[in-house]
Amino acid sequence: MSRRFLCFSSFILLLLAAWPGFADAPGVYAITGGTVHPVSGPEIPNGVVIIRDGLIEAVGDAVVIPLDATIIDVKGAHVYPGLIDAQTSLGFPSASAPRRRGGGGGGARNAPPEQLPETGPAFLAFREAKISDDDVEAKRATGVTTIVTAPAFGIFNGQSVALNLGDGRGGGTMESRVIRNPAAQQISFNPRPAWTYPDSLMGVISYIRQTLLDAQQHAAAHAIYDKTPAGYKRPDESPSLDALGGVLRRDVPVVFVADSDLMMRRAEAIAKEFNVRMIIAGARQGYRMADELKALGAPLLVSTKWPVAPTSKEDREEQPLRVIRDRQLAPTTPAALAKNGVLFALVSGAGKTGDYLPGIRKAIENGLSADDALKATTINPAKIIGIDRQLGSLERGKIANLVITDKPIFDKESKVKRIFVDGRETKVPAEDEKKKPGTTGTTATTGVDGTWSFVVKATAGDVNISATLHVENGQISGTFSGDRGAGDIGNGTFDGTTVQFSIAGRGKEEAGDWVFHGTLHGANMEGTVSTTLGTFPFTGSRK
Amino acid sequence: MENETAGVGGRESGVVERRSCSDARLPTPDTRVLALAFLLIATAASAQDIVIRDATILTITHGKIEHGSILVHGGKIAAVGTNAQVTAPAGAQVIDAAGKFVMPGIIDTHSHTAVEGSVNEISLPNTGMVRIRDVLNNEDINVYRQLAGGTTTALVLHGSANPIGGQSQIVKWKWGHPVSEWPIADAPRTIKFALGENPKSSNFRPPPGIPAQYPQTRMGVEEVIRQSFIDAKDYTARWDEYEAKKKRGDNPIPPRRDILMETMVDVLKGKIDVHSHCYRADEIMMLLNVADEQGFKIRELQHVLEGYKVAKEIAAHGVGGGTFIDWWGFKAEAYDAIPYNVALMTNAGVLTSVNSDSDELARRLNQDAAKAMKYGGLSEEEALKLCTLNGAKQLRLDHRLGSIDVGKDADIVIWTGHPFSTYSRVETTLVDGEILFDRQHDLVMRKEMAKEKTDRLKKEADDEAKNKKPGKPGNSDDEAKPEVTDEN
Repeated sequence: MSRRFLCFSSFILLLLAAWPGFADAPGVYAITGGTVHPVSGPEIPNGVVIIRDGLIEAVGDAVVIPLDATIIDVKGAHVYPGLIDAQTSLGFPSASAPRRRGGGGGGARNAPPEQLPETGPAFLAFREAKISDDDVEAKRATGVTTIVTAPAFGIFNGQSVALNLGDGRGGGTMESRVIRNPAAQQISFNPRPAWTYPDSLMGVISYIRQTLLDAQQHAAAHAIYDKTPAGYKRPDESPSLDALGGVLRRDVPVVFVADSDLMMRRAEAIAKEFNVRMIIAGARQGYRMADELKALGAPLLVSTKWPVAPTSKEDREEQPLRVIRDRQLAPTTPAALAKNGVLFALVSGAGKTGDYLPGIRKAIENGLSADDALKATTINPAKIIGIDRQLGSLERGKIANLVITDKPIFDKESKVKRIFVDGRETKVPAEDEKKKPGTTGTTATTGVDGTWSFVVKATAGDVNISATLHVENGQISGTFSGDRGAGDIGNGTFDGTTVQFSIAGRGKEEAGDWVFHGTLHGANMEGTVSTTLGTFPFTGSRK
Repeated sequence: MENETAGVGGRESGVVERRSCSDARLPTPDTRVLALAFLLIATAASAQDIVIRDATILTITHGKIEHGSILVHGGKIAAVGTNAQVTAPAGAQVIDAAGKFVMPGIIDTHSHTAVEGSVNEISLPNTGMVRIRDVLNNEDINVYRQLAGGTTTALVLHGSANPIGGQSQIVKWKWGHPVSEWPIADAPRTIKFALGENPKSSNFRPPPGIPAQYPQTRMGVEEVIRQSFIDAKDYTARWDEYEAKKKRGDNPIPPRRDILMETMVDVLKGKIDVHSHCYRADEIMMLLNVADEQGFKIRELQHVLEGYKVAKEIAAHGVGGGTFIDWWGFKAEAYDAIPYNVALMTNAGVLTSVNSDSDELARRLNQDAAKAMKYGGLSEEEALKLCTLNGAKQLRLDHRLGSIDVGKDADIVIWTGHPFSTYSRVETTLVDGEILFDRQHDLVMRKEMAKEKTDRLKKEADDEAKNKKPGKPGNSDDEAKPEVTDEN
């Protein structure tokens, strides 16, 4: 990429000569020669974007280049508003991150899964997110310059925050990155570990309802007490319930993380009961109900972490048609939503940072137009989070977040060449740097994936069970067969070390599932099985 | 019991289909295909009358009609009688059932089928705030299999991990319909109670590191139930006081709404029916006494394997009993079970039904009902009632379910022979006048689904092979790869 400095005066020449050719200071830039995709209007071949002090000053094909501008010629390239990934958990451990109980030693092995930090309505992603420079760079390498982040664990995940991904120098503090705080209150249907309320899906729903009822009561109590405290018992202080006040007043939207059609309908029922502003995140079965979603009117943050086929042919053939069909139709969701005129954005959600662009491409392969895909990653998420006056398109006065690619951004071969955040150029990692392993997003731990042989040392003798386990978002699914018949793995969780799952009781003779609690050591597992007949040790080895 | 076992016995819905190890012959059709197919049929059926011709009709309430016909109109039974008595309106779909037997849809008053996630909220002694209706899953293949066994209505219960479990839900197995259409609109609300080994945590041992949960004894179970109602009365008093203050023109701060307490209050008011899991005679008496003392009613005792020992007392309380015919000895509290329990309770005047507590047994409750003729000598009609009308009465839905009578819901099962023969099988099942299972149709669908599966897998493999080829020679850019399939 060639860069030229135009010498309009010797003064400017002197000033610019000191620069390394990398436009990372706030200033005045003219990006010329590329195809500009403003999103707010048709693409502009050989267009110009003028950036001044972090904001967009002008966009067009007949723009007078200011005398003080540094010209950046991007001939042949494509210029876009920076992408907005409106649902991530950047800066938070994944729901299944390995966590050990303190103290260690032998006691830890049988310990229940360690709880992640307790979230709640008052939990502020703005305060708690630990976003590393690597996280930011990896995210920007996918063309994303703005994110919304909140933890994926907990039920009330807390208040998400919309951030610009400026780099470390100047502009890199959380405070300076914030676009909107809070962006939303986020709620996930995550049961807690067994024996902690709520440990079932139905319990989670009741828990959410009761919490919102409590928030209503809290607001009602304060409405009376704050006016005339005399004669009333003062209400308890509650940051959590206070935090939900904005939700009940519809000032703050609620992002419900709901993937299946059933979960989306459950979220809808809660949103209607409490008259809250709902945004649905996940929505990968949206293809089944695009018309209903249109009628519902809630915007969607569609996860591009599409279901993945098992690697082996045998495993694929084992799956029922329903699962195969769902996997193949899920990526048609964005096209179906676009066709029905539903406001939606494409997000990485629980997916890895590096899978975001490929996930968008898959949606395009499945019928979404590239134009709609661009809207779904720029202006639509901006509208959904309420930041479309600042971001989401290349228009005068908006924040100068730009991504420049050598080919149209969603082309398979396209590469991100330059990125501007808040009008400053930021580093695009070299190809070899991108491949380094590490902290790029919310990698789900998958260490128990595969086929296992388990031996349970029961009183009556050894019980042999074979099981195929699959982890997604810390949840284990799969099937088992052997001495206890065959069936599905139930209620499985994996946090990177501790494994828990159950297999169905065998019949009336034994009133109870067998619940496995174990720890993973490479290709081996050991632990105990709780049954109605007693608790037995088990060992497992990967086949 | 089988399904209401470990609180952690949840199902991962939508990921892997739940398969049963037994009875591989039963159809395993795919939800979506069938949903579509049946929606087509359903549209036709609801617009169209159906006449079942020339069958042996087991009406349950008024004997057996040989060479009988049933007219289904608008989802209801519009006429029943001999062939000569029932005329088919123009345009009606006629099902020739010559040589076949017809009975009302089987009612299972103890099911845990089609629950997404755990059937137990195990974390507290009283979880009356949770609701099964929030987590119904219309993709559970067991629902279709149960239609194939003639079961059309079920009471889907919370598990038995705690003395007071969650709110249960009465549903029709409307396969292919959204779950919002499953609950029977005018059915009573219900709640699950449980006594004995399960709620005292014998079968729900937490893993090491998590303290044992109260209660650990039968005494504790009784205390939890009693205290819950005492709390409910306190709760009512708080709200009464609030309402009284408001009436006086005060501006009081409203008390907290507590969805658990609201549930208990509704039990006290008789708005929610109690179905209680129990085995032993002593704990059955305990529950009846606590109910009398606290002023609530028990609608149905579930399992009730020692019901025969206190059948008179159960009958005197007007309480029903839903039981197993021949399952016993599977734990200490089930050692005194006898197969004559059903007959002895029936003869003592207890409204008795046989139910499943099992995805699998729910497909053949007709056979369990038949055994009551052998053990205790119930009449054929009494035995048939065990899996139809008696369950309907226990669910307080006998005005619309449980027999072949004019005006009742057209939940109808057509069998190849008498339903008490082990050689008989279901040909066709109607729910609300719609054909939701049909054996001939099922055979066609199996072939179509097998083909679709093969086609889809082939296309997937072809696409992958195509994508794996480098786009152009020398391209080694990871970013250019299609989304990875080896992740996870």
